[in-house]
Amino acid sequence: MQMRKVYNWQLGRNASYVYPQNRPKKQWAMVFDLNKCIACQTCSLACKTTWTSGRGQEYMYWNNVETKPYGGYPTAWDMGILSKLGMQDWDGNKYAGRTLFEAAEKDEKILQHIAAEEDWAHPNIGEDEITGMVGKGDYITMPHKIWMFYLPRTCAHCTYPACLSACPRKAIYKRPEDGIVLVDQSRCRGYRECVRACPYKKPMFNAETRISEKCIGCYPKIEQGLMTQCITNCIGRIRLGGFVNTPDKAVKENPIDYLVHIRKLALPLYPQFGTEPNLFYIPPIHVPTTYLKQMFGPQAENAVKTYLEIRNDMTLKGLLVLFGSMERIISSFRVDGKTAAGFDEKGNEIVKVPVTEPTFIREFYDAKLQAYRHNTP
Amino acid sequence: MIKKLTLYIVLTMMVFGVGQAFAEEVKGTAEKPFVEITSYHKDTDVSKVGINDNLWSGVASYRQPLEKQYLVVPKPVEVGVKELVVQSINDGKYIAFRLVWKDATENSSIKVTGFSDAAAIEFPVKTDPLPQYIMGQTDMPVHILYWRAWRSKDTKDGFQTIDTAYPNLTSDMYTFDYKVKGKGTEKTQEEKDMFIPGKAAVNPRSVPHKQIIEELNAEGPGTLKTKNVENTTGESHWSDGTWTLVIRRPLKVDDAVSAQLVVGKKTPIAFAVWEGERKESAGRKAVSPSWAEVLVQ
Repeated sequence: MQMRKVYNWQLGRNASYVYPQNRPKKQWAMVFDLNKCIACQTCSLACKTTWTSGRGQEYMYWNNVETKPYGGYPTAWDMGILSKLGMQDWDGNKYAGRTLFEAAEKDEKILQHIAAEEDWAHPNIGEDEITGMVGKGDYITMPHKIWMFYLPRTCAHCTYPACLSACPRKAIYKRPEDGIVLVDQSRCRGYRECVRACPYKKPMFNAETRISEKCIGCYPKIEQGLMTQCITNCIGRIRLGGFVNTPDKAVKENPIDYLVHIRKLALPLYPQFGTEPNLFYIPPIHVPTTYLKQMFGPQAENAVKTYLEIRNDMTLKGLLVLFGSMERIISSFRVDGKTAAGFDEKGNEIVKVPVTEPTFIREFYDAKLQAYRHNTP
Repeated sequence: MIKKLTLYIVLTMMVFGVGQAFAEEVKGTAEKPFVEITSYHKDTDVSKVGINDNLWSGVASYRQPLEKQYLVVPKPVEVGVKELVVQSINDGKYIAFRLVWKDATENSSIKVTGFSDAAAIEFPVKTDPLPQYIMGQTDMPVHILYWRAWRSKDTKDGFQTIDTAYPNLTSDMYTFDYKVKGKGTEKTQEEKDMFIPGKAAVNPRSVPHKQIIEELNAEGPGTLKTKNVENTTGESHWSDGTWTLVIRRPLKVDDAVSAQLVVGKKTPIAFAVWEGERKESAGRKAVSPSWAEVLVQ
């Protein structure tokens, strides 16, 4: 198989891909603050009721939230492909190992893990499971000895999508205007090469229609300048949607670029797969570094350090407050004194919030109502 | 690349001796990938010939060896079906092919990770020049008659749905497809299908069909396109580890991109089989090693 060389900034080097490099004009991206996710699944349900409420989509979760390290939908999707790929190395911030395209077996385009029937049947397997038994006398350390965290996931609308490269009939395409990757529902013939190839296991087979489907990045909302359903419905306000540039073209006023490139706080999910995914995660600070590095690359440790310093960092603090504060996509942001503001593409202010919410202290006894105040949940 | 392939195929044909008949009683062997099939003339209505009609026992069988598809990545490491037994008859108006192959598992029910057993026969639309036999070439289309066990079961037992595939599955509610009756719950099928993307897009795979054979054209790998004609009928049966498939169609049809078979002439033909249990699909398939030929007697 003749492979092309494409530049993958997440790996800091050229990497193999099936097609030549062809970046979209804009690239859909999403940032998650994993320190805030509580796995309430509001995102999953927002997606489900919007997009996958039909027959054949019962167990289809374009957006899911799984508990790491043991949870996964489909079951063990990441362990399956990681164990196939084997141990790989980073040389500083440059990936020294093989990507899934580079590790492809003979006569294949990409190294694959194929999920079994039952793997798709337990979307919430392993929920809330911790890494092991809490021992007698154990106390909390940073990072935690015994830990877990929640990982919300959608399609990563990769720059070099495995699904797109695997489709034998070019039924999958990446939109030049926003980088969203779609399965053409007229053209797909249900071969499931995309289901095999995607390391994140986000293309899914609809047995009722006998063709494959995947997260559509809420493109009808994106076209109107709005963020996706999973973002705007997030009650924990852990997500921010927008567009990411390549590091050489990073714009510091662009909130996604600022988090991903300028501060390197939000990191790609399993960059070593080589698809240049566009989901970026602020790593959970209580999780051991080795695990975080495997999942988010070599910058995970620094990202945790940066996060721990946010209390002294007005700009980052302000930007994190903007998460979930509006439905419109923020093209640029500014943190001024005590407020954080977001602007649309034309520079119009679309949101303004205080960086620190004012605090009010109320007396325990309310004389007017002649009642004592309680802290009610 | 195409030129190279054409050259390779031409060379292959020279080696195997295109146009030279094998004068054997048990026609074709695994050592001879190029198979010459005779479609015998029978005084019967071939358009209605059944899968197990007695007349088949008197028709010569040809062994068609199959091998791993080797042209397009991904290529299968191994394939499940390595030989087809082919018979053919015609009545001057209709032609029928009867294919028999070993397959220990019947894969005809839809599943999320299940793959259908399938088979196809292929003709070049035009023989001069002869297209590349795996899926044709640009401006040199092939005409494919594709059978799928899923579609056979749909036709026989009613279109398979998620409810037939997973009878114990429960779902609280489908949008516009309510379990209760009352004001606002009555929706047309079209309205319900809006929430089933393949159906809304009228994807040929997602909607029921009268015939079990799908007709397609292709001009190279990845260009397969369903024809909006259903001139071909078929019948399939699996028992004791064997699939039997009959495919019947008119020798001549009124369509510029369909194969036209002529009495007294030879037409190139190729075969493919997919073993669903092995998750064979698309290019992961067993193919005849070259164009074979069918002489319409």
